[in-house]
Amino acid sequence: MKNKDKRPFTKDILVIDNIGAECERIIAGIQENVLHRLHRIGGVIGISGGIDSSVSMALAAKALGTENLLGIMLPEQDSSGDSAKFAQKLADKFGVKAITENITGALQGFGCYERRDEAVKKVLPEYDPNHYKMKIGISSSGLYTNLPPLFSLTIIDNKGNEQSKRIPPNELRQIEAASNFKQRCRMSMLYYHAERLHYAVIGTPNKHEVEQGFFVKNGDGGADVMPIAHLYKTQVYQLAHYLGIPGEIIDRTPTSDTYSAEQTQEEFFFQLPFQQMDLLWYAFKNNYDPLEVGNVMGRTADEVEKVFGGFERKIKTTEYLRMPPLSF
Amino acid sequence: MEQEVLTIKQKVNEYVLEHTFAEKHKIQDDSLIFKEGYFDSMGFIMLITFIEEEFALKTSDSDLIEENFESINAITSYILRKKTKQ
Repeated sequence: MKNKDKRPFTKDILVIDNIGAECERIIAGIQENVLHRLHRIGGVIGISGGIDSSVSMALAAKALGTENLLGIMLPEQDSSGDSAKFAQKLADKFGVKAITENITGALQGFGCYERRDEAVKKVLPEYDPNHYKMKIGISSSGLYTNLPPLFSLTIIDNKGNEQSKRIPPNELRQIEAASNFKQRCRMSMLYYHAERLHYAVIGTPNKHEVEQGFFVKNGDGGADVMPIAHLYKTQVYQLAHYLGIPGEIIDRTPTSDTYSAEQTQEEFFFQLPFQQMDLLWYAFKNNYDPLEVGNVMGRTADEVEKVFGGFERKIKTTEYLRMPPLSF
Repeated sequence: MEQEVLTIKQKVNEYVLEHTFAEKHKIQDDSLIFKEGYFDSMGFIMLITFIEEEFALKTSDSDLIEENFESINAITSYILRKKTKQ
């Protein structure tokens, strides 16, 4: 489909003109859904010190009142120390009560670390969790090709020496499945507090995470209300500035905070900086001509088409994450 | 040689059909199986593992280009070239 009736594609196409009005619309939506549809009297929200949970918390605090919102920090042994520091700073700034629930013990009970490390050692036998940090990531070299990216394992020793290797399928599935205990433990803990308080769970994913499948089914994908699920990442940043989110949180590079080694969301999943990802995703979803998009983005039409093809693949292959349980 | 090509192609064909759940007529030997979205990242690494194990060869990162994997024909040619070099 050509873009005759659409606005011309520009780099500013996603800028929200009236941020105040958008915030008010979201706040009204939280109130309507939490209070009137779900019949809950407040909300619990997992806060990580990242931009998405910070903006969601600020909006929920305005919607439900700070006295009816509980922020929960859910660290585990691989979490960055910065996460708790920034999350607490955010809660203090907005006057929201925040508690810490360390889920390391629960994860040990599930065998999360053991199961993950067993698979890691099969790929790189020298890996010892006491002396190495680890992460998995994808190569951005696959962005302008029809081949999907492959995952690689990286281990980093105490001196900073890195080794990387492509991960075979069995080990990849085991590492991912074991790591997903983290998001599912967090979801369980959030629901514990939500149920004891008669609150709703406020989820924090943005538009990319939901639509491209960057979440764990029944983990961080498990929530009652998702106030920023319609927003592109750059729009989340726009709201962050408007809502007065602390600068240190806005300036942080978004990470997955899942593996012991630091890893950006770009290297783990998205493959593109957010500014570019937002524009290309918008163009893809709104059927813009790849040539017009390429002219704005400094890419050829063929490259844009390949990125669009990757988006289609992601939607298709992550569809099951967004499906409710099937009945027939 | 011709028989070897046929054998390799048949094995690749069977693997692709079995793992994509596609109807037989939808995937021809020259169908662009990646462009058409039959394989995601997990599917790709599984295909690579199948090729390495079934044909006793090792793929290097520089081999992982569209030209070598875009279709059943391309994969068959790639396997033949690798086996010849071994």
